Amino acid sequence: MPELDRREFLKIVGASAGAAAAVGCSDPVSKLIPYVVQPEEITPGIPLYYASTCLECPAACGLHVKTREGRPIKLEGNPDHPINRGSLCGRGQTSIGRTYHPDRFAKPMRRGADGTLAPIEWDEAIALLAAELGKASGRTWVLGGTTGPTASEFLDRWVEAVGAAGRVVYEPFAPEALVGATRTLFGVESEPIFDLSGADLILDFGSDFLETGLSPVEHARQLATARDAGEAGTRATRFVYIGPRLSMTASNADEWLAAKPGTEGLLALALANVALSSGGGTDAGRAALAPSLARFDAASVAKLSGVPAESIERIGRALAQAKAPVALPPGTALASRRATASCGAVLLLDWALGAVGKGVKIPENDGRRRSSYRAVLALVDLMKTDNVGVLLLHGSNPVYSLPPAARFAEALERVPFVVSFASAPDETTARAHLVLPDHTPLESWGDASPRPGVRSLVQPTIRPLRDTRAMVDTLLDVGRAMGGAVAARMPEGSFRSLVEAAWSSSPEAFRQVLAVGGRFENPRPAAVSLAGDALQLEVAEPLLEGDGEFVLLAVPSPQLYDGRAADLPWQQEISDPVTKITWTSWAELSFATCERLGVEYGDVVAIETVAGTLELPVFPRGGVRDDVIAIPTGQGHTVGRWASLDGKARGVNVIAALPSLTDESGGRAWLVARANARKTGGHFRFAIDQDSQDQRGRRLGLATPLSAFAAAGAAHGEADAHGGDHAEHHLREFDAAKDSDANSLYRWGMAIDLDRCTGCKACVAACYIENNIPVVGEEEVRRGRIMSWLRIERWVGDGSLEGGAGLDPILPDESGSIVDVRHAALVCQQCGAAPCEPVCPVIATYHNEDGLNGMIYNRCIGTRYCANNCPYKVRRFNWYDFQIHNWPEPMPLMLNPDVTVRGQGVMEKCTFCVQRVAFARQKAKDEQRPIADGEVTTACAQACPTQAITFGNLKDGASAVVRKSDDPVRGYHALHELNTRPAVTYLAKVTRGPVEG
Amino acid sequence: MTPPPPPAESVAAMIRPTPLLADSQTNRDVMAVFMERPGLGWLLLIGLCGAGLVAGALTWIFQIYLGLGIAGYSHPIFWGAYIVTFVFWVGIAHAGTLISAILFLFRARWRNAINRSAEAMTIFAVFTAQLFLGIHVGRIWKAYFILPYPNQRALWVNFKSPLLWDTFAISTYTLISLIFFYVGLIPDLAIARDRTTGWRKVLYGALALGWQGTSRQWKSHTRTVLHLSGLATPLVLSVHSVVSWDFAVSIVPGWHATIFAPYFVAGAIFSGFAMVLTVMIPVRRIFRLEHIITDYHFENMTRFLLLTSVIIGYAYGIEYFIAWYSGVEAERTSFWLRAFGPYWISTWCMIIFNGVVPHIFWFKWARTHVPTIFVVSTLINIGMWFERYVIIITGLSREYNPAVWGHYTPSIPELLIVIGSFSFFSIAFLLFLKLFPVIPISEVKELEIHARSHGHATSEAH
Repeated sequence: MPELDRREFLKIVGASAGAAAAVGCSDPVSKLIPYVVQPEEITPGIPLYYASTCLECPAACGLHVKTREGRPIKLEGNPDHPINRGSLCGRGQTSIGRTYHPDRFAKPMRRGADGTLAPIEWDEAIALLAAELGKASGRTWVLGGTTGPTASEFLDRWVEAVGAAGRVVYEPFAPEALVGATRTLFGVESEPIFDLSGADLILDFGSDFLETGLSPVEHARQLATARDAGEAGTRATRFVYIGPRLSMTASNADEWLAAKPGTEGLLALALANVALSSGGGTDAGRAALAPSLARFDAASVAKLSGVPAESIERIGRALAQAKAPVALPPGTALASRRATASCGAVLLLDWALGAVGKGVKIPENDGRRRSSYRAVLALVDLMKTDNVGVLLLHGSNPVYSLPPAARFAEALERVPFVVSFASAPDETTARAHLVLPDHTPLESWGDASPRPGVRSLVQPTIRPLRDTRAMVDTLLDVGRAMGGAVAARMPEGSFRSLVEAAWSSSPEAFRQVLAVGGRFENPRPAAVSLAGDALQLEVAEPLLEGDGEFVLLAVPSPQLYDGRAADLPWQQEISDPVTKITWTSWAELSFATCERLGVEYGDVVAIETVAGTLELPVFPRGGVRDDVIAIPTGQGHTVGRWASLDGKARGVNVIAALPSLTDESGGRAWLVARANARKTGGHFRFAIDQDSQDQRGRRLGLATPLSAFAAAGAAHGEADAHGGDHAEHHLREFDAAKDSDANSLYRWGMAIDLDRCTGCKACVAACYIENNIPVVGEEEVRRGRIMSWLRIERWVGDGSLEGGAGLDPILPDESGSIVDVRHAALVCQQCGAAPCEPVCPVIATYHNEDGLNGMIYNRCIGTRYCANNCPYKVRRFNWYDFQIHNWPEPMPLMLNPDVTVRGQGVMEKCTFCVQRVAFARQKAKDEQRPIADGEVTTACAQACPTQAITFGNLKDGASAVVRKSDDPVRGYHALHELNTRPAVTYLAKVTRGPVEG
Repeated sequence: MTPPPPPAESVAAMIRPTPLLADSQTNRDVMAVFMERPGLGWLLLIGLCGAGLVAGALTWIFQIYLGLGIAGYSHPIFWGAYIVTFVFWVGIAHAGTLISAILFLFRARWRNAINRSAEAMTIFAVFTAQLFLGIHVGRIWKAYFILPYPNQRALWVNFKSPLLWDTFAISTYTLISLIFFYVGLIPDLAIARDRTTGWRKVLYGALALGWQGTSRQWKSHTRTVLHLSGLATPLVLSVHSVVSWDFAVSIVPGWHATIFAPYFVAGAIFSGFAMVLTVMIPVRRIFRLEHIITDYHFENMTRFLLLTSVIIGYAYGIEYFIAWYSGVEAERTSFWLRAFGPYWISTWCMIIFNGVVPHIFWFKWARTHVPTIFVVSTLINIGMWFERYVIIITGLSREYNPAVWGHYTPSIPELLIVIGSFSFFSIAFLLFLKLFPVIPISEVKELEIHARSHGHATSEAH
């Protein structure tokens, strides 16, 4: 070794130090800064829940907002809330994304001379609006969606104080015809409350109450309750759906009467006629109605409605025998120009059968301001004639959701000053002169009252992410800025103090209400009697514009509602529950129609009405009448990161093809147009998430006839003896409880009840939000790369062995009147003998001590063998770095900190919300006890409106999941013949067959 | 039983620095192949393949950066063209060892003319195949997790996984094939060393490991070759058996079959021989080696093709029979849709090219008509690629849950990478042609001397 002299030594030392320093320079040092003052109540790692209210639709479900370290990360139902009892629908679940939407307005925006919106300061904006209001005196109008009672009351006072001309409430799907019918029939201005939980025969005249009806979560729960019960477990409650299309709601029915759209009223009266004449109904009903119903005989109504007379008579007799029938009046899709009469006819049926006061409650006149389409049209006329100086728009997107035939957009051009309170850009803000962004509901105070007696609070759970202000506060400041008499009439304080004052006398009492989430009482029913002019309803065939061979049915989208959810990426990606299509619109045509037009799956057709032409691809199915074209609402936006295709329309807006018409009571009519369809020669590849709805007899979704169930009830106590009858279930081939470590107290398992599952996908949305599942976009869904860990598979019957040779999905025929659609929620089955585990070369997927099939993302190298070997196909692969591409700022704030965000090249899947299990385990460990039954549940089970999913410990013999799973008649394991020993037990759907009468 | 020692003349020829004997024609012919300056054709070919390789490599880098999403995968079809091509190359890699080891043990002397190129092909094919293990995984930067290396986190690999068996099988096979190839090359390297100057002399000198051709060296060499043959023989059967278990061990309909190991081994030999023919026919023509690689060699190889074609034809039949006979609806559906579903073209390509076309070799004229052999062997190569495509893609596209049936079409980046792999293989082989003796000089000369001394015709096997 050469000698190391001093100079050499120093050189080396210097060089090393330099190198070390250079390395140290490469990265900026980031520091974790601890709280100097720990915020009260916040413990890192422990979630805090705040009671609030979901304002996504007028149903106003109660919320528990789960926050972590000051950020809302998940919305769950408030268990004490009478509307939703702890559940929450998919739209409610994903509405959390509104707060974190990347394109929210950062501050007030003013349209400059160049026509673009530019940010300004709040003071400036308020002064500007105050000045404009002064100029427009008496020509100011407010147009907006449903607001809570406090805001509504304030708006009325404000309108009066500033000398505005008036205020119009506009809610596209408001049940205006139903309210009109209630007023006509009973003289009460209120929405009837339907309670299905005690019903033994449910007739839905196309209200689609499980999707977009009056209160979907509540009704889903009630339907499940009604069907599950019955005397001595007979499960005899029947559900008949009457409507032109086999919707998701109809898929849950026992029988589907494919009536011509708009003939629901006729059918209701014909059914009432049969029921009353065969001895059913109340004496009062018979006395009042029997004579006038005589002309609605089964034969002639059968001819008008397309429903066989035999069915009308049979169901009519069944209604006569039923102890607690409930009939629901038609909803938005079937709101024709005679919708009030249709709704009235159905209410008459309810009344005649004695359901009013029992299953149908008519509350007292609640004095609420209601949406009125006639008033909207009147306002448009004022705008056209330059009688509106300032238009204030809130909580609605009329440029999108009003028919172009109403000429709202043109009328808006004539309004000198348009103000929008929207928090994110939409088609209407694109035409506003001033945008004063409102908070999102998670940032804001407020309240809601979905029905008399139920008052629900909204409280902020995060400091506003953007420089936004509550609309009420903005208007208060504007009023004050106007000075003089106006300022004097503005109430003291802020929106918060208004809410507080409206709710309670003391801050302490307010705190208590806040903790509960509201005040919940039963509505006081009105003493109703049939009004004299009730029989003047003109129940007849619908009036339709144009002379096409089809009727155009605009179907309210269960995912996008009236289009308001279109810019929430999850709602675009979570597929339609019936067609399984994502990210676009489609036209449902019957197989026969498609054959006649010469079009197939995905072929583009042009649909012409008097109001316009739509070009969109076809989804052929058996579940729609031959003379109907059904198109969902909600697509066709031209603004929005996810709602539009870079500013071009994504899909079509069906409203563009509808003439602007009202029904008898001034409500908006949707079933208004006839249409022609022709082939265009174009083709579109749908992005679907279920390839085939035909299970080829593979026992993924099973059904048991009611008779088998009754037989088992008779032979109670010798369930095993049914082996012969129900051998296909193979429930007891193994003991799933043994598939965890012998020392572990737990083997987590699940029971999924197909008879309760309605296919609504609330669980899917909950899973997306809970588990940080990325949204991949239309093109990736088209390639089958959707990332959902949980999917609802829709199976039509047992299936056949036909088809599968082509590239298009197999579309089974569902046109029969006996409905047998099974919705099977497919999660990872956490198999005891999991095929995925042995094939992983690096043990990235393994069996944990509690029997869960764990996934170690850090260990995964992405061979994807596990996914090939999973027969259920529940594993998802990160083909790209989805979380970088699909979570633009500030969306990462809503990520669940307990769940790893998966990077490119790793496999992922459902782990029964292992993070929730871990949280419960830590808590139990602290308290030195085992986890109790019901203490931990998965996000999907938590969200489910019908409690179709039960999660728990299979080793605890007394647990709810064991009780549910141990069902010798209905229990089965999916693909049991593969011997995967799944921890999920499915409970077969009960097929009840046709209604007997 | 030991092979007979080489005759004395041959030993003398080996150690003499300059060619003196009449058989030096062989030396000259063979040496000419790799000593001549590369011709225009060679340069064009290597340029073309170089372009393909660069395109493939850049696409791969792009794929590592962006993610596997750029390939055509969809939800149920998690394995695609990469695994298809991987299995294809592993199959190709079988001919070399089969020819070198098994035919050596069986004393099929006609193998001598082709065994060097077949072995080289084995090495390059197995390297190409291994590339795909890296290309296929989602996180290549963590691919070393698959090795059972000691670490403080006590992480270990899963010995139950066929993918791990695969890793070991392929790496063992690579190692043994490489050693086999190299040991066989040593005497020829010595010849080359003695006849070259400059950098080639240095290279061959180093690689020849001081070979002098002494009888002691020959004795050791012969014994080594024999023992290596013994070691390599089971590998020929095991490697593709293990590769087949990648599929057979799973529960995917169309994969889960006990016939897979012999079926795959036969298929591998089939494709390997076809590839040797596809490559050697033009090589023989270009380098004018007709007197060394004679039609007799080709005819023997076509006999192998015929035999293995019958075996895999039988396997195809048995697969369908068992699918029907099992009564399992998922199996039946999978096979029915294999033939009549969206991938029917691939399936019928596979059946016709592999199971029907080779039957032409029942006829002597076809076995000896070189253009026919070339066309058929090329069709077999295509057919064998499609065989793996059919097994992997159709199996995955129609599994147990009809809700997640899906479709797969190779994407352009995927095809670029597959083309890149063919370019990689071709470049390696082209360089081999110009760097090493493509015909085993010593073994051919041994045959010639043997033939002369026994008065047999050169091209006749024993």
